[in-house]
Order: sequence, then structure tokens, then C-alpha cells
Amino acid sequence: MKILLIEDDREAASYLIQALDEAGHVTHHASDGETGYAMASGMDYDVLIIDRMLPRRDGLSIIESLRAENDKTPVLILSALGEVDDRVTGLRAGGDDYLVKPYAFTELLARIEVLARRSNPGEAATSYDVGDLKLDRLSRKVERAGETILLQPREFRLLEYLMKNAGKVVTRTMLLENVWDYHFDPQTNVIDVHMSRLRSKVDRGFANPLLHTIRGAGYMIRE
Amino acid sequence: MNRLAQLWRTSTVRLTALFMLLFVVFAILLLTFIAYQSSIQIQRQQTADIDREVELLRRVDSRQGIRGIVFAVARLASQPGPGIYYLGDNAGLQIAGNVASFPINVLQTEGVFSFNYDREGAFDGETVPDDDEDPPQGYAVVRSVVLDSGLRLIVGRDVVERRGLTAIVFQAFVLGVGGILVLSTIAGVVTSRRVLRRIDAINATSAKIMSGNLSERIPLTKRNDEFDVLATSLNAMLDRIEALMQGLKEVTDNVAHDLKTPLTRLRNRAEAALRESQPGEAQRAALETTISESDKLIKTFNALLMIARAEAGAPSGAFADIDLSTVAEDVAELYGPVAEEQGIALDTRIEPGVTLRANRELIGQALVNLIDNALKYYEPEEGKTGRIVVGMRTQKGRVLIEVSDNGPGIPAEDRGRVVERFVRLEKSRTEPGSGLGLSLVAAVARLHRGELRIEDNAPGVRAVIDLPAS
Repeated sequence: MKILLIEDDREAASYLIQALDEAGHVTHHASDGETGYAMASGMDYDVLIIDRMLPRRDGLSIIESLRAENDKTPVLILSALGEVDDRVTGLRAGGDDYLVKPYAFTELLARIEVLARRSNPGEAATSYDVGDLKLDRLSRKVERAGETILLQPREFRLLEYLMKNAGKVVTRTMLLENVWDYHFDPQTNVIDVHMSRLRSKVDRGFANPLLHTIRGAGYMIRE
Repeated sequence: MNRLAQLWRTSTVRLTALFMLLFVVFAILLLTFIAYQSSIQIQRQQTADIDREVELLRRVDSRQGIRGIVFAVARLASQPGPGIYYLGDNAGLQIAGNVASFPINVLQTEGVFSFNYDREGAFDGETVPDDDEDPPQGYAVVRSVVLDSGLRLIVGRDVVERRGLTAIVFQAFVLGVGGILVLSTIAGVVTSRRVLRRIDAINATSAKIMSGNLSERIPLTKRNDEFDVLATSLNAMLDRIEALMQGLKEVTDNVAHDLKTPLTRLRNRAEAALRESQPGEAQRAALETTISESDKLIKTFNALLMIARAEAGAPSGAFADIDLSTVAEDVAELYGPVAEEQGIALDTRIEPGVTLRANRELIGQALVNLIDNALKYYEPEEGKTGRIVVGMRTQKGRVLIEVSDNGPGIPAEDRGRVVERFVRLEKSRTEPGSGLGLSLVAAVARLHRGELRIEDNAPGVRAVIDLPAS
């Protein structure tokens, strides 16, 4: 995946570039807003990671300009501002996701991988398949190996989000944000408990589990 | 002098001066106009009088002859007043009249004349009481005609009256304007001094506040005037600032106290890991603990920031009309499985469709904190089922969000204290957590113009977020 990182903190940037490189991604770096904007509009990237407060040009204005030029490259906004208001203005400017500093690298990696996939066609699929598990978004039915699995509405949304991002790591925060629409830290292991319930419904009695816990990162559904 | 200069700088004095100036200009214009108009009016009146008398005497002359006219003029001339009369023959000899002499052309030509004349001669004798202060010179307006009988008749008026009127108008002007100048100056100075006194009081207070005493307040009077209104609102502002400063101070104190300790621990652990002779499992474990410790630090820090922002908070853009019932249902649903795993039943008693203008995230976070506390401090007991009830109801214009449990409860004397930041009751010291949970809930309640109450659920705790409904 080809990534553009616009970040003025050189130390943070070089750490990120190295970590993204280890994860198998090619990262270009711009350390101020103007350069970043020139690079973003001049080249084709899979994902842009843009810091909100940049010298010479502010991150949100870069995103606004790109969107005005009909550039739909997914953007992850990095910011030290974490209030709901800030998040809303960031997303309204055209950002696709918002990550508050300080963050765990696994969280950032999971988010950009999900973002990059999002720009691919087929997002509005009416059903998802992972192995012998099938989720129909219209009839809201879930089947595994031909057997119907009964899920609570929230469990359905949880599974839907996981299957939409099948093969990608989704973090607990991403689940809380996308399934429950909350942006705070749940103090306890709430998400884990929900996942273990879902797992007991989806995987119990089957030889090959589909729901996997990725240590130190989150969860993934895959064959 | 300094005081005088200060007085002059006050807006009241300046306004008064401006109005005084405007008034004087206006008075001058008005009185000039009046004086001018009256003098014209008097002149017209006098001319008309003169013409009337001339006509009258002309008729007397033509009907009654010389005897009649001489008698008539003599009678008129003997009356007191500003009248000037002369009757003479064509040789210039005076037959009757009250003025000794006229300029020569008046005696020779017909027409209207005005001239200075010797008044002593005119008002001599019984007609005018001799007044030393009267100027000897008079000013006369006369009409000179030749009668049918060939006699010369001169009828006129001493215009000293006209001048008298001007003098009266001028006097009125001086008195009026002078009086107003004096009165308005006094009024201006008095008001300004009053204003200055009040402003001095405000200045004195702000000086004290600037020098560091934030608890000073502007004194109020019983007058309840605009200064009191201003002072009240300034005092309210000062209260708010003081509260914010207090909050800030607490935050810094707490940050210093509660972040330094874990930071020190973090540092020690990293140092210990460095001292490990060979890299391996132990070092890796140390690093992992370091990361999880720093995550905890970040959480504490976030909670502190959130409290600070909620407490500083003006309701922000994140406020929207939200369905509180759904928020509560969602949070209860989020925590239901966790509670169940701990063997606690999480029930809801939520009135449907309660809407409120609120910050959804903060209300959600507050509910999470309350449920989290209830779960954390629950102590399993023989023969008792743990039970947490998330409730929401409206009551007399209030929205009550309640989380109640049947756990060990909080001693009555500690109930107020648990809301404070970082307060963790003695027996809970060993539990994980920052001690910020309830103070965040309290801050959220205050941001929504409500309060957090900790009540006795007998047994257990009932935490009530009490918010105004609109």
C-alpha cells in the first residue's frame, strides 16, 4: 500500500515510516502543509495520513482542497484535539477517520488498512461471505454451513462490521466507534465480553474458528 | 488640580459642558431673534402711533383751526410719556411742544427723521421726574408735516423704550444663561463625582484582584442603579473566574500528584529493564508493562482533560437534541454481558422517549462510569444476587438518570466526598482506576446545569444525575 504521511514532528514521522515499512507499506513523508498538499495532489496514494496542525498549511484545509478537486483518497486525520467537536469538524472537512494522539501503532495500522479497503469498489455489498459463514444485510440473516444463527441486533452489527473488514484487524476502539458509536474508552473489557458471546454463537461446534483474537491489537474474521 | 483634571475627563462632565455650550448658543440665537423681532414690532407700533396722531391733529387743524390745534398739541405735549410734539409757524417759531430744538432740516422738510436730541429740554418740568441717571441725550423718531393752516407739526417718539426692551432681553439672557451655566456646572460636577466615586470603587477592587486577591468583590449599594447592575454582573464574572482558577489549581495539583507517581514508576521500570544483563523475556515483559502503564496514564490524562473541559464548559457544538432513553439503553446493553459474567444482573427501568439537549458522548461516558463503579465495588455475598438498575425518568421538569446497586454502599459521611477528584475511599485503594470516574460524572452533570447526587439505596448506592428537562 502506498501511503502519504503529512506530519511535522520528525521523530514521530520517522517512527511511523519505519513501523509502516515493517508492516509492508511504502510511505512518503511531507513535513509541512504546502509540500504535503502538492504531493497529495500530484501523486496517487492509497491512504493519506494527515496531522491536523501543520506548519504553512493546516491539515483540514488540505483535505478540503483535495475533496474540492474530487480527490477521494481516504484520509486519516491525526490530532491532539480529541473532543467530539474536533472530531466532527475533522470528519466534516472530508476526513474518513480520526485518530487522537497519543495512539498505539496497531490502532493506526488497523485503521488505515480498513480505510484503504474502503476506497475499493464493492463496499455496498448486500451480503458478506467468510468461509462457510454468510451474512445477508437485507434479510438480516446469518448462516453458517447452512444453519441459521440467531443474533441480537447489536451482535449482528458487530459481525457485519467484522465481515465487512474480513481479513483485516479491527481494534476494540474501532468496534466501539462503529458498532456503538461511542468515542470514549470503556473502562473494562466490555468489547471482549461481547466478542466472546459472538464467538460462542458463530464458532461453537465448528472445527475451524473464524473469529480470531489478534494479541495486542484486536480482532479479525478470516477463514 | 489632579482631581479637577480627572473630573474634566469624565464623560458626564464633558457631556454637561457640551450641552451647556449648545444651550448657550441656542439661547443667544433665540434671544437675538426675539430682541430683533420685538424691536421691529415696537418700531412699527410707534410709526403707526405717530401716523395716527398726525392724522388726528391734521383733522383737528382743518376743523378747529389754529386755536384747536394749538390746544390739542399743548395738551398732548403736557402728557407724560415718550411722546414728542412740536407745533411751529413757518418762520420756525415754536408755538407748542415739549422739545426745545430740532435739527434744522426737520423744521424745513416734510418726512420721517430720526436724530439725537437734548432730552432735558424735552422732558423738562412736570412731565418726567428728573432722574440724574437718565442720559441727557435722547433718540427720537419723528414725522414732520405742514398742516393745512400752514403750521408745521412734528410728532415723534423717544425710542428710549425700544432700547429699554433690548436691555431687558439682554438682562434676561445674562441671568438665564448665567443661571443655567452655574446650575448645570454644579449638577455636572456632582453627578460626575458620584460616578467617579463608584468607578473608583470598581477600580480599587480590580486593583486588589490584580494584585492577587481573587476573592475581592465590588461593593454594592442599596440604590440598585445601573452601577449596581454592572457590579453584580462583574461580581458574578469574578465568581466564575475564581471557580475556574480554583478548578485549574486543583487540576494542576492533581496532575502533579497523580501523574507523577505513575510516571516515576514507569521510569523506574524502564531503568530496571535496561539493567537486565541479557535481553530476553524479562525485558520484553518490562516493555509491555511500560506500554500498558503509559496507556493507563493517557487514560488518566484524558479523564482529567475531559473533566477540565466539561467544567470550563459552555455548552458547545456537540450539544444536540438526543434521545436519552436510547443512550441509556445502549450503555446498559453494552455493559449487560460484562455484568452477567460477574454474576450481576443489570436491569433497566428506562422511561422511553426522554429527549434532552445534551452531549451524547459525555452522558454516555457518565453512565459508563457509574455502571463501572457499581461493577467494580460490588462484593459477592452468600445468598444475595448482585443487581444493578439503570433507570431514567422525568419528574417535575427534571430528568433523573439513576444507577443503583445493592452492593456494599458508601458510608453517609463519605457520600459527598466521593465526587471529588482522585478521592478513592480507603478500602478501594487496591482497585484499579484513576479515582476520577465520579468527578467526571459530576462535571458532566454540572455542564448540563444539573448535579450528581449519591444516595443510599439501602442497601447499596444510588447515583442520580439530576438534570433540568429543558
